[in-house]
Amino acid sequence: MDFELTDDQEELQRVVRDVASSECPPSLVRAVAEEYAGHPGGSGAEVDALWKTYVGLDWPSLTVPEADGGMGYTAVELVLTLEELGRVADPTPFLATTSQYLPIVRECGDADQRRALLGAVCAGGTGAVAFSSSRGAPTEVRAEPDGDGWRVEGAAHVVIDGDRADEIAFVATTDSGVGVFVVPAGDVHATRSKSFDATLHVAEVRVDGVVIGAERALVGPSVEAAVERARLEAIAGMAATMVGASQWILDHVLEHVRSRHQFGVPIGSFQAVKHMLVDVYVSIERARALCHFAALTLAERDDRAPLGASMAKAAAGDAQRIAVQHGVQLFGGLGYTWENDLQLFLRRAKAGELLLGSTTEHRRRAAEIVTKQAATKQVSPNRTSATQEGVR
Amino acid sequence: MRLAFDDATEAFRREFDEWLDEHAPDEATAAAERSGSSADIPGWAREWQATMFDAGWLVPGNPPEYGGRSATLIEQFVHQEELHRRRIYNSFNPQGLGIIVPSILAFGTDEQKQRWAVPILRGEITAALGMSEPDAGSDLAGLRTRAELDGDDFVVNGQKVWTSGAHDADVILAFVRTDPDAPKHKGISVLLVPTDSPGLTRRPFGSIIEPEDLDFNEVFFDDVRVPRENLLGTLHDGWRVATGSLGHERAMLWLSYAQRLDHLVDHVPEALAEHGALDDPVNLDWIGDLVVDANALRLLGYRTLAKAKKGIEATEQSILKLLGSEAQQRASLQVLEAMGPDALDRTRPTGPFHPLHSEHYDASWFDLYVRTFAATIAGGTSQIQRNIIAERVLGLPR
Repeated sequence: MDFELTDDQEELQRVVRDVASSECPPSLVRAVAEEYAGHPGGSGAEVDALWKTYVGLDWPSLTVPEADGGMGYTAVELVLTLEELGRVADPTPFLATTSQYLPIVRECGDADQRRALLGAVCAGGTGAVAFSSSRGAPTEVRAEPDGDGWRVEGAAHVVIDGDRADEIAFVATTDSGVGVFVVPAGDVHATRSKSFDATLHVAEVRVDGVVIGAERALVGPSVEAAVERARLEAIAGMAATMVGASQWILDHVLEHVRSRHQFGVPIGSFQAVKHMLVDVYVSIERARALCHFAALTLAERDDRAPLGASMAKAAAGDAQRIAVQHGVQLFGGLGYTWENDLQLFLRRAKAGELLLGSTTEHRRRAAEIVTKQAATKQVSPNRTSATQEGVR
Repeated sequence: MRLAFDDATEAFRREFDEWLDEHAPDEATAAAERSGSSADIPGWAREWQATMFDAGWLVPGNPPEYGGRSATLIEQFVHQEELHRRRIYNSFNPQGLGIIVPSILAFGTDEQKQRWAVPILRGEITAALGMSEPDAGSDLAGLRTRAELDGDDFVVNGQKVWTSGAHDADVILAFVRTDPDAPKHKGISVLLVPTDSPGLTRRPFGSIIEPEDLDFNEVFFDDVRVPRENLLGTLHDGWRVATGSLGHERAMLWLSYAQRLDHLVDHVPEALAEHGALDDPVNLDWIGDLVVDANALRLLGYRTLAKAKKGIEATEQSILKLLGSEAQQRASLQVLEAMGPDALDRTRPTGPFHPLHSEHYDASWFDLYVRTFAATIAGGTSQIQRNIIAERVLGLPR
């Protein structure tokens, strides 16, 4: 396996990092969070302006196929971008639009639907996906044919950006299997949930028998599998976001322990402190590598994509857990204040853990995939071919 | 980034695979004569090593006169990967081939290369690495074994310990202090000491596994005379050889951790299923963690390889040993305790015996767990690794 980023990928990473750190400083994230908490100082205008900056740079269209007016990059470039945006606790609808809505339309839609719906994303439109509930229970949304279109009814919980995206894609059951129904925000009742991460919108969404045209119904026998592929991309994207937020915590705790002196020495010279930070570093590197692998399996449409996504999310969960735990502890009293930016980033890292399946859930999935394959002797003797389980 | 290597690399892999299909030793012969230590090469394995040498498959990165074919870094990796995958050793004297020969080829004279490196490569003689001492473990530069020039000889006095395979080895690459007045890193030299030298005593001692598990040695030097021509590299400049040797040791070491983790991934579910414990969500949780570790280690290894190819020293390199050794220990502990009384039986094999390899794949779960401490202690303990990463990678103050 050639597992090094290409020069283009490194360049993309650098550009996103530069732009994101200058255009989305912690002060902006803080203003958004404080406005949400009912304090004056911020306004939604800042988030809108930031989103327009991303649109001006064509970032939302990164993984839209070239034929549909986008840049035609793969999930690898997407996770690189999302990691950088996780590192600034990006408050825009970028995560839901590019790692959830865009993949579900790209994977499930026909050529005309992709062109229309993804074209809107390229032009700056946003989207969200009402997947089935995070516990894997069957979706409560149903759709049935209605004249030339479809009638959609039901509710979904924990929809990222469900309250502010232009389009909500509902994954729904129909008499002929799973379908995806893209409903304009104006026809959706959305209630934003009171989340501890004030800069990540999460909402309950409901449609009361709204009728949409066939051009907004992504249906057919292959849609169920396509939804699963899109879900894997969403999981990988969330994992990358968590890696980015964890990296911010590591970077800033390192800065703190180098400069903070007690007993006449920097506290970072104590072995107890060093060893904690090495554990954070290792867990982040481990998770980042698996995010890249997950993205690579998606990019190459490899059979290991489900395993890749679960490993990435489990490892990102491990990374956020130790980064948050050691991050707060090592900042000492300073980390226990609202004023310290640490609180903004640990919220993003921890929120990611709670969405799209926990560490425990994805560990179990990874174990089940591998043990099932072992049981059915699907492990090819040539472990270097691309078709069997794991990286081998 | 892509999931497969390029076509030329895969063609190289196939060529080696086909050669192995034709030439790999017979497993029954190998099973009949097992290696007793890391410097004990059974007769069949000596022949095998020479066969690989002659075919240029022993150390493919070497030029043909040293058992290779001047292969690229990626090809060398693929060669290692195939040997690991098929559970075949290219040498039952791994430190000889992996550390001592590269040190001689890097720092030795032409005469030393012919006299020592080639016979070690061909399996005609075996070598042991004399680094650690009773008071110089993690702090290797604190070593005190003395060597003083007397005419054309060095006279060596002192003691080494943990010298793997010394009792079966023909030569010891010994790190000795030649300038006691210099700062500790600057007064060290490296000598090739034949083990039949008068005054040299080797005392093997049992490992934690059992008294008969003999690989470690104490080696005592009592006025041992070593010809000056056996000095490797420059006098007093042995630290450079030491860092070079350990560099060789670490470059692809992660593959063996990856392989041991793969071994666990392959055999743990089977064992738990037989024990009726595979559906236990607690067990699935740590198996999932093991799967994550095994795959992450391999990916980070691939990344260091890709960077090495570009001539960049990867920071990932430093975490491979720490992650690999600790992951292996965590999972071995989990499976040992999950197996309950079934794991008490020491004779119960936990995996197949691979006669072409001396890894303890067939050891009991207890033995497997206990052996993982070799990896978290030897070659820089996990604690030292954390200090190194904290200081060199994270830039924390000493």
